[in-house]
Amino acid sequence: MKKFGIGCGAVVIILLVIVVIAGFAVAGSYNRLVKLDQNVNEKWAQVQNVYQRRADLIPNLVSTVSGAANFEKSTLIAVTQARASVGQVKLDPNKAPTDAAQLEQFQQAQGQLSNALSRLLLVSERYPELRANQNFLSLQAQLEGTENRISVERGNFNEAVKDYNTAVRSFPTALFAGMFGFSPRPFFNAQPGADKAPEVKFDFNQAPAASPAGTP
Amino acid sequence: MDTLNRQKVGRAGSASLPARRILFALAAVFLLGANLLRAAENIPPKPAGYFNDYAGVVSKEAALRFNEQLAQFERETSNQVLVAVFRKMESDSSIDDFTRRVAQAWGVGQKDRKNGAVLFVFVDDRKMFIQVGYGLEGVLPDATAFDITERNIKPNFKQNDYEGGLATGIDLICKAIRGEYTGSGKTQLEEKGRSGSGSGLLIFIICVVILLFALRKRRRGYGYTGMGGPFIGGWSSGGGTWSSGSSGGGFSGFSGGGGSFGGGGAGSSW
Repeated sequence: MKKFGIGCGAVVIILLVIVVIAGFAVAGSYNRLVKLDQNVNEKWAQVQNVYQRRADLIPNLVSTVSGAANFEKSTLIAVTQARASVGQVKLDPNKAPTDAAQLEQFQQAQGQLSNALSRLLLVSERYPELRANQNFLSLQAQLEGTENRISVERGNFNEAVKDYNTAVRSFPTALFAGMFGFSPRPFFNAQPGADKAPEVKFDFNQAPAASPAGTP
Repeated sequence: MDTLNRQKVGRAGSASLPARRILFALAAVFLLGANLLRAAENIPPKPAGYFNDYAGVVSKEAALRFNEQLAQFERETSNQVLVAVFRKMESDSSIDDFTRRVAQAWGVGQKDRKNGAVLFVFVDDRKMFIQVGYGLEGVLPDATAFDITERNIKPNFKQNDYEGGLATGIDLICKAIRGEYTGSGKTQLEEKGRSGSGSGLLIFIICVVILLFALRKRRRGYGYTGMGGPFIGGWSSGGGTWSSGSSGGGFSGFSGGGGSFGGGGAGSSW
């Protein structure tokens, strides 16, 4: 050993120092991942919040609109049904979804409700008594507000997921991220056919026509 | 004849390579710049005051009065309420989306409380929108904002009474959100002005300490003690002038607290 100029002890100490430094680096990365993960969960809770807000407005809207004489029943039924199916897709509000299929399901249910709502508002343009109804106008303004909030919070959520995914997938964090249980998360994406405006068919006394996918 | 042509070509050929590169670079810069010029949206710069009439629809006295009213409101409640009247909305996006991004860029509202609200009016487009920050969504929900724009401001605007409409709007917004938060008695700009002189004081103290160290060394050599005098006098006057910079001429300026906006609010067109 003396031949190399350093003793065995020195080598051991150097190795230990390297291990300790590596340990600190890993701990630092882990803490950063935890923080980013928490941020994603927080933004997800916000998304759930604003979607819930929209769902809460529906009963009031439906009762106001059905008060209008001869309002097209199929539109109202579509809204009520969509609202019910949204309630059935249950995702943990405190933890962002890790499964892309789950998020897709959630997004689809919400998308259906969006379509039904936009059709309802479009149809209500033909009823002057509704457009003069202060309650309805106020509800319309609130709905527009929630749609705006939804797109803002989805944007914030996607931003948070982007930061988290970038951290999880970059080197060298990627090496041990899986070990600690951090994996990339799915994004909200634009619904297929989002660029097409919703089709409105004025069917009276008939079952609601199937519509192409519209705005998310 | 032949050699002459060849010479000419040779000369042109040797000069054109760097010239060509320069031309390419210029073309690239020009195209990039042209692209930027074609940008469909223009986020207006941060406003100087609380009441900003870029369209010139209210009188100067009214504008000053509104500005002071809103500045005083911030002193009392810490809520930052702005009014911005433009001629046209320079964006292809919807009014609720565009005005949210503008309000966010301006940083209206205190950072921790997010208690900002901005009344945007686009006179030529005949549209208005009250953009409400996260922290005020409880007291100024969409329904209330809509009520203010639709039933209180709109009738005035329809008669081209902008001053009356804006006065009503300001009063109602303030009435709705008063009581949610308490203020510190100073606007953001005034607070920043004060802390500016505070940091000036710190710099002054550090300079004094440095000078004292320098003097100490010198004293050993030259017995020189009076050198620091004029310097110290100069610095303290520098620190003093800082604090007086913020409030000049009776116009209360606006400085954003860094609040954020979540898309709440409502608007009307007339």
